[in-house]
Amino acid sequence: MDGRKKKGLFFRYLIAVILLLIMIFPYIYMVLTSFADWDQVDKKLIPTDFTLKSYQWLLGGGEAVIPRPWLHAFFNSFVVSAGSTLLMMVSGVMVAYALAKIPFKGRDTINNFILFQMFFPAIILLIPTFLVIQRIGMYDSYWGMILPKALSLWAVFMYANFFKAIPDTFIEAAKLDGANDFQILFKIVLPMSKSITTVIFLFLFMERWTELLWDMLVTKSDSMLTLNVLLSQMFGPYGGYPGPMYAASVLLTMPIIIIFLIFSKKFQEGMQFTLK
Amino acid sequence: MKIKKVASIMFAASLTVSGLAGCSTGNDSKSSTTSKNGETTIEFWAAPNPTQQVYWKEIADEFTKENPKIKVKVSPMKESPTSEASIQSAIAGKSAPTMSENINRGFAAQLAESKALVPLDTLDGWDKVKSDRNMDNTMKGWEFSDGHQYVLPIYSNAMLFGWRLDILKELGYNEPPKTYSEMLDVTKKLKAKFPDKYVWAKADIADPTAWKRWFDFFMLYNAASGGNKFIEGSEFTADDKAGESVLTFVNDLREEKGLLTRQAKDPFESGLGIFTDIGPWTIAYWKEKFPNMKWNETYTLATPPVPDGMDTSNVSTFSDTKGIVVYASATKEQQKAAMKFIDWVYSNPENDLKWLEKTSLPPARDDLTTNDSFTEFFEKNPALKPYAAAVPNAIPPMDNAKYNDLQTLIGQQAFNPVVKGEKDPKTAWEDMKKAIEGALK
Amino acid sequence: MKQKGQGRLGWLFASPYLVYAVVFFAIPLIWSLFLSFTDWNLIAPTFNFTGFSNYIEAVKSPGVQAAFFVTFKFMFLFVPLVIASSIVVALIIHGLPKFKGLFLIGFFLPYLASGVVSSLIIKGILSYNSPINEFLRKTLGLDIDWLGNPFAALFVVALIIAWKFTGYYALILTSGFESISKEVYEAAMIDGVNPWQRFWKITFPLLYPALFTVMILSIGVTFGIFTEVYQLTGGGPNYATNTWQMEIFAKAFTNLQAGYASAIAIIASIVTFISIFIIRKLLEMWGKRNGWA
Repeated sequence: MDGRKKKGLFFRYLIAVILLLIMIFPYIYMVLTSFADWDQVDKKLIPTDFTLKSYQWLLGGGEAVIPRPWLHAFFNSFVVSAGSTLLMMVSGVMVAYALAKIPFKGRDTINNFILFQMFFPAIILLIPTFLVIQRIGMYDSYWGMILPKALSLWAVFMYANFFKAIPDTFIEAAKLDGANDFQILFKIVLPMSKSITTVIFLFLFMERWTELLWDMLVTKSDSMLTLNVLLSQMFGPYGGYPGPMYAASVLLTMPIIIIFLIFSKKFQEGMQFTLK
Repeated sequence: MKIKKVASIMFAASLTVSGLAGCSTGNDSKSSTTSKNGETTIEFWAAPNPTQQVYWKEIADEFTKENPKIKVKVSPMKESPTSEASIQSAIAGKSAPTMSENINRGFAAQLAESKALVPLDTLDGWDKVKSDRNMDNTMKGWEFSDGHQYVLPIYSNAMLFGWRLDILKELGYNEPPKTYSEMLDVTKKLKAKFPDKYVWAKADIADPTAWKRWFDFFMLYNAASGGNKFIEGSEFTADDKAGESVLTFVNDLREEKGLLTRQAKDPFESGLGIFTDIGPWTIAYWKEKFPNMKWNETYTLATPPVPDGMDTSNVSTFSDTKGIVVYASATKEQQKAAMKFIDWVYSNPENDLKWLEKTSLPPARDDLTTNDSFTEFFEKNPALKPYAAAVPNAIPPMDNAKYNDLQTLIGQQAFNPVVKGEKDPKTAWEDMKKAIEGALK
Repeated sequence: MKQKGQGRLGWLFASPYLVYAVVFFAIPLIWSLFLSFTDWNLIAPTFNFTGFSNYIEAVKSPGVQAAFFVTFKFMFLFVPLVIASSIVVALIIHGLPKFKGLFLIGFFLPYLASGVVSSLIIKGILSYNSPINEFLRKTLGLDIDWLGNPFAALFVVALIIAWKFTGYYALILTSGFESISKEVYEAAMIDGVNPWQRFWKITFPLLYPALFTVMILSIGVTFGIFTEVYQLTGGGPNYATNTWQMEIFAKAFTNLQAGYASAIAIIASIVTFISIFIIRKLLEMWGKRNGWA
C-alpha cells in the first residue's frame, strides 16, 4: 500500500517536471539560441555550438548595419515601467483607501463608476487618448507613456478589497491617538498590506514592461524607444538576423523574471489572499 | 448635489487640459526650430535602412561644416509597423520633421491631399536643383495631378529577379528562362530532379499587405504589359490581357507545385527556392551574412519573365523609387534651409556617387548611364550592372492617394487567391477589377 | 460637522481617480464619438461631418465582420484550451507534498513573457525549414501551413496565449482546491465514489467559484488580442485572425482613417460590452441551476 503511494507520488512529480519543462521550453530555446552559432539559429531545437556573436552584433552592429540603441531602450523601458508602476501604486492606494475606509457622500457613485469602467473596452479610447496626449504636448516624451497609465482600476479594486478586510478598530484607535488619515494610510494600513502590495506591484510592473501598442503610437524618436517597441521594429529590417533578435529577447525578458524570482516568496503569500 | 459636484470637477479638469493644450501649441514650433542668433535647425528623417542613416549623417556633418548657420539633425524614421504609419502619427502628433526621405509616390499623394507637404516647386531654388542634378526628364514623370512637384526622387531602383544559377546549371540551363513556357519547363525539370525544392518560395506572395505587390505582381505585370499604367489619375486603365496572363502564369506555376507560400528561413539562400525578387541592398546583406552567394556562380539576375511571343529584350519591370519631401508643418526658415541643404547635396555628383557606393541604389538622374563617375562604379561592381541597365524600363508605382487600399485589393481579390489556388485567374482578375473600380469612385 | 470633513477628505483621496477618469476616460470617450461622425484622418487641416456613413461602411466591411466572428471563434478555441490546461496543471500541483510553491512559480513564468518575444520564438519554431517542421515532414509526412491556413493560424495564436495564461489561471484554481477540505474527500472515499465521479460531484462544484473567475478573465482576454496577431499574421490569412484591435489599429494608423476607425472602435466596444454581459449572465444561470454558485 505504502509502496504504491510512493510510486504514485513519483509519477506525479515526473509528470509535473515534464509539463514544467514543456511550459518553459520557449524560454530555454530563447536563451540557448541567443548564444548559438548563427548556422544553428532556428535550425536546431537544442544548439550545440555556442558563441557571443549575437550579443556583439546586437550591441556593436555588423558590417552593413549600425547599432541600435538597445541599452538606452532598456533604460527607457525601466524609467517608464518604474514611473508608471509607482504612480499606479500610489494612486491605487489613495483611491482604495477613500473607497474602503472614508465614508463620504458620492462614494457609492465612484465605486459603481469604477466597476463600469473596468468592464469598459479600452480600445475605443486609443485614438482620442493619443490626441489628448498630443494636445497636452506630451507626444514623444516619458510623460506621454507614463500618464495614461498612471492609474490602474484593477489596483484600486484589489487594494479596496484588502482594506475593507482591515478592522475599523485599528483606524479608530489611531485616530484617538491624533493621527490623520494620511498617517494612518502610510504608517498603519500600508505596512499591513505588504504581501498584496508585492502582488500588485509585480503584475503592474510586468504589464507595463511588456506594453507595445501604446508606446509604439506615442513615441517617434530613437531616444524614447522602449525595449519592446525596438524589438518589435527589428522584425522587419533585421528579420535576416534572428540570432541578435533572440539576444534582444533575452535582454527584454530576463529583468522581469529576475524581479519576479526575487519577490516570489512574497508573491505567493500575496496570491493566497488575492484569491480568497 | 452629487451630480453637480462631479460635473464641476469634470469641468475644472477639462479646462486644465485645454489650457495646457493652448500652451503646447506655442511650444511645438519652438522646440523644433530654435533659431538662436540666426541659426536654423532642421530635422531630417532617414530611411530605417541602416546604410542610408550612415550616409545622411555623414552628408549632414559635411554640410554643416560649410554652412554653420544650418544644423541638420538626422535620425532614422521608425517602422511601426511601417515607416508610413510612423510619419502619419508624427504629423498627427504635431511633431513631424522638417523633411524626410523614403517617400513613395502613392504615399506622397496621400500626404499632399491632406496638405501635409510643401510643393517643392513653390520653393526658391527648385529649378536650380533640377538642372544641377540633371533630372529634368525624370521629374516630368513625377508631376502630381494638381501640377505640383512634392517629391524629389533620390533613387530609382529597377527590381530584378534573382535565379540560383548553380541549381539551374544542375538542371542543364546556363542562363535563366525568359518566357513563361520556358520557366514552366524549368519548374518541371526542377520538380523531377529535386521534388523538395520550389521555384518561387516566398510567404509574401500569399500576403495581402499593400506594398508587397510591388515586388511580385507589379514586376510581372509591368513586364507583361510593356509598362502599361495600371491606374491613370482615378481611372482603372490596366491591360486586361496582360493582367490575366500574369495570373494564369502564376496559376500554372502553382499547378506544377513550383510555389511555396510558407514562412521559411532564408529560402533563396538555402536553395529551397531558386527564384525571387532581389534589390541591390540584398547584395550588401549577402556579403555579411551569406558570403557563399557569389554573382555569376551561385546566383544571377534577370528581368521578369514575359508571356510567350513577347520581345525578351528591354523588358519592363517595377521601379522601387523613393525620395525627399518637405513637410508643411516646418517654418518658412526651415523650408528655406531644407532647400539649401537639398541643393548643396545634389549640385555635386560626388554625393550621388557616394550614395551609390554606400547603398547600391541607382540615383534618379538622367545621366546615370552617361556620366563617367557612375559608369566607373558599375564596371567595378558587375553584380549591380543589370540594375543600371534596367533603369530606363522601370515603371514607378502608382501615384493614387488610395494606393494602399487599391494594392490591398490586388492581393486580396486576385494575386493571393490565385497563388493559393482558391480562384481561377479569369474570375480573380474580374473580381479585382470590379473591386478597384468600386474603390476609385 | 464631522461628516462634512470626511466628505472633503474622501474626495481628496479619490481625486487621482477623478482627474484620471476625466482626462483619460470621459474626454477621450466624447472625442471618439465625435470623430466617428467625421472623415478626419488625423493630419488634414479640415474634415467633414459624414453622419452615420462610417458606421454603415464599417458594418459592411469584410474586416469588421471578420473581427466580429474571429473573436468568438477564438473564444471557443482559447477558453476551453486554457481552462483544460490550467485544471490539469492545478490538479497535478495541488497534490504535491513538497516544492509546490516552486512549481507554481515555474508554471507562472510564461505569464511574464512579452507577446513580442513569444511571437518571435514561435515564428522561428514554425518556419517551413525549422527543426520541428522538417521532422513532421520527413518522418510523419505531415506538412502543416501553420500561419497560412486559417484554422491553424487561429489555433497557433490561441495556443500562444493559452501558454501564457495557463500558469496564472492554475494559480487561481489551486487556491480553489485549497478551500476543499480533506473531510469531504474522505467522506466520499468511504461512500465508494470513483475518481471520475469524485471530480464532477465534489471537486468541480467546490471549484466553481475559482473556475468562474478564470472563465470571466479568459473571456475578457479574447476581446483584447493584439500583439501576437500583429507580429505573427497581421490579421491574415484572409482576415482569419483579424481581431478588433488589429482592425482598429490598421484602419487608424496604417490607412489613416481616424474617423472610420473610431466608428469601428465604438462598434467593438458595444459588441464587447454586450457579449461579456450576456456570457456572464449565462454562466451565472448555469452555475445556479446546478447549484454550484
